[in-house]
Amino acid sequence: MSAKASVGTDVRAPSVALPLRFILTGIGALLTGCAWLVLRPDLLATYHYNQYVIAATHLFVLGWICSAIMGSMYQLVPVALEARLHSEKLARWHFALHVTGFVGMVVMFQNWNLKYVGSFGSILALGVGLFIYNLVRTLARIPRWNVVAFGIASSLAWLALAIFAGLYLAAAKCWSFSPFEPLAQMHAHAHLGGLGFFVMLIVAVGYKLVPMFALSEVQSARRAGWSIVLLNAGLAGVFATILFSSQWKIVFGCVVVVGLAFYWLEILAILRARKRRNLDWGLKYFLTAVALLVPVSALGAVLAWPQLPLTPLTAQMENVYGFLAFIGVVTFAILGMLYKVVPFLVWYASYSKAIGRGKVPSLAGLYSPTLQATGYWLFISGLLLTSVATALAHESCVRAGCVVLLASVIVFAVNIGKVLIHLVRPRIEPLVLKPTLQGVA
Amino acid sequence: MNITKIDEAAIWEALRQVVDPELDCNIVDLGLVYGIAINGVTISVTMTLTTPGCPMHESIAWGVQSALLNLEGVEDVEVNIVWSPPWTPSRMSEYGRSHTGVSDSR
Repeated sequence: MSAKASVGTDVRAPSVALPLRFILTGIGALLTGCAWLVLRPDLLATYHYNQYVIAATHLFVLGWICSAIMGSMYQLVPVALEARLHSEKLARWHFALHVTGFVGMVVMFQNWNLKYVGSFGSILALGVGLFIYNLVRTLARIPRWNVVAFGIASSLAWLALAIFAGLYLAAAKCWSFSPFEPLAQMHAHAHLGGLGFFVMLIVAVGYKLVPMFALSEVQSARRAGWSIVLLNAGLAGVFATILFSSQWKIVFGCVVVVGLAFYWLEILAILRARKRRNLDWGLKYFLTAVALLVPVSALGAVLAWPQLPLTPLTAQMENVYGFLAFIGVVTFAILGMLYKVVPFLVWYASYSKAIGRGKVPSLAGLYSPTLQATGYWLFISGLLLTSVATALAHESCVRAGCVVLLASVIVFAVNIGKVLIHLVRPRIEPLVLKPTLQGVA
Repeated sequence: MNITKIDEAAIWEALRQVVDPELDCNIVDLGLVYGIAINGVTISVTMTLTTPGCPMHESIAWGVQSALLNLEGVEDVEVNIVWSPPWTPSRMSEYGRSHTGVSDSR
C-alpha cells in the first residue's frame, strides 16, 4: 500500500487558531476554577447539592474540560482517523455559542436563576449540536472504522444525552414536571457527561495516543473493542438505575469496572510491547490519569452499594468521588494530552514549512521538562491533600490543597506560554550541510 | 542535467536534514527512508513513518520535498509513503537508537 504525498493539498487538520482558541479558553477556565476553590474551600468541604457547587462544577466541566477536549478533538479526530474536518466554519460558530453558553450558565447557576440557566444552556446545546454534527460528518468520511472511531462515536452519543438531560433538569426545576428525584437526576446527568463523554474519550483516545507516543500498537483489538462495549452497556445501566434510584446500580457499576479492567489490561500490554523505553512527561500525566481510574472506580462501587447509609462521611465521599473523577482523572489526562497537542499545533504553524530548509526545534524543545515534572508532582500532592481534606470536611486543608493545585496549573500555564512564544518568535537556524559523503542507511 | 553517483550521496545527506520533531532524530537514522530512485531531474523517495496516522505525515513529506528541491539539478520530488513493510526499530542506525532510546526489545 502506498500513498503519494502531495504537500500542501492534503492537510486534514483545521487551522491552528481553531483548536487553540478552545484550549486557551479552557486553560483560563481551569485557572479561574482553581482560584475559586482557593477562595471558597467550603464548596468541597460541604455537601455538593447547592447552587455554588453546581456553578463551580459547570465552570470546570464546560469551561475547562469541554473546551479543552472539543478543541483537541477538532485537531485530533481528522488527523488520527485520516479524514478531513467537515466544516471549520461550523466549528467557529460552535466556539462562540460554547463560550456564551457556559459563561452565562455559570453566572446564572451562581444566581440560581434557572430560567436563564435554561436559556444559556440552550445556546450551549446548539453549539454542542454543531460540534456533534461536524464530527459525525467527519467520522462518515473515515476510510476504515476501528476501536478508536467506535469509542469516539460512542462518546458523542453520550454527550448528546448528557446535554439533553441537563436541559431536562433545568426545565424540570422551572416547571416541576419531572417524576424523578432531583438529586438522582443530577447524578444521572453527571455520569452521562463524566463517564459517557469524558472517560469514554480517554479510553478511545488512549488506544491511539499511547501506541503512537510509546511506539507500540494495540495488542488485542478484541479486548479493546470489548472495553468500549462493556463501558457503553454498563453506563446505560448505571444511568437508568441512578435515575430510578434502583439498587441494581451496583451491578451495572461492576460492568463499567470490568470494561475499565479490559482497558487497563490492554494499555499495560501496549506499554509492555513499546519500543520507546523512556516515556515523556505528557504520557506520564495521561497514564497517571488512567491509573487514577482504579481508586475512582473502587470508590464509585462502594458508593453504589445497596443500603449504604447517607452519613456525613459518605456524603463527603461523594464529593471526593466527583473531585477525583473530574479533577483527578479527567483533568490530569487532559493536561497530559495538551502537552502533546499544543506543542504540535504551534510547531505545525511555525516550523512545518521550514523543515528540511532550516534547523527547527523538536516538539520537546518548545517547553520545559523541568516545569512539566514540577507541575506533575504539585498536581499529585494537591490532589491527595484536597481529597483527604474533602473527606474530612476540613476547610483549611481543602484550601491548602487547592493552593497546591492552583500552583500546578499556573506552572502548566507558564509552560504552555513558553510554547506559544514560538508562534510569534520562531527559532529557525540555518542548516549546516556536511560536504563529505555519509553512509547510506 | 543528469544526477551523478556523488549526487546520490548528497541526496542522503539532504534527507538527514529532515528531522522527526517528536523523536528529535533525522529520518535517515530513524530508518524511515526505504529507498530513492533518480530519474533524470526527478527524485522519488519511498519512505514510511513510525506509525500510521502520524500527525507529522504532511510536515515530514513537505520537509523531504523542500530538502531535495534545494539540491542543484533537482526539479521534481515524489514522496511515496508506504506502510508495507512496516517500520521497526531494527531499521534504525546505531546513532538513531542511542539518540532516541528506541529499541526492538525491552
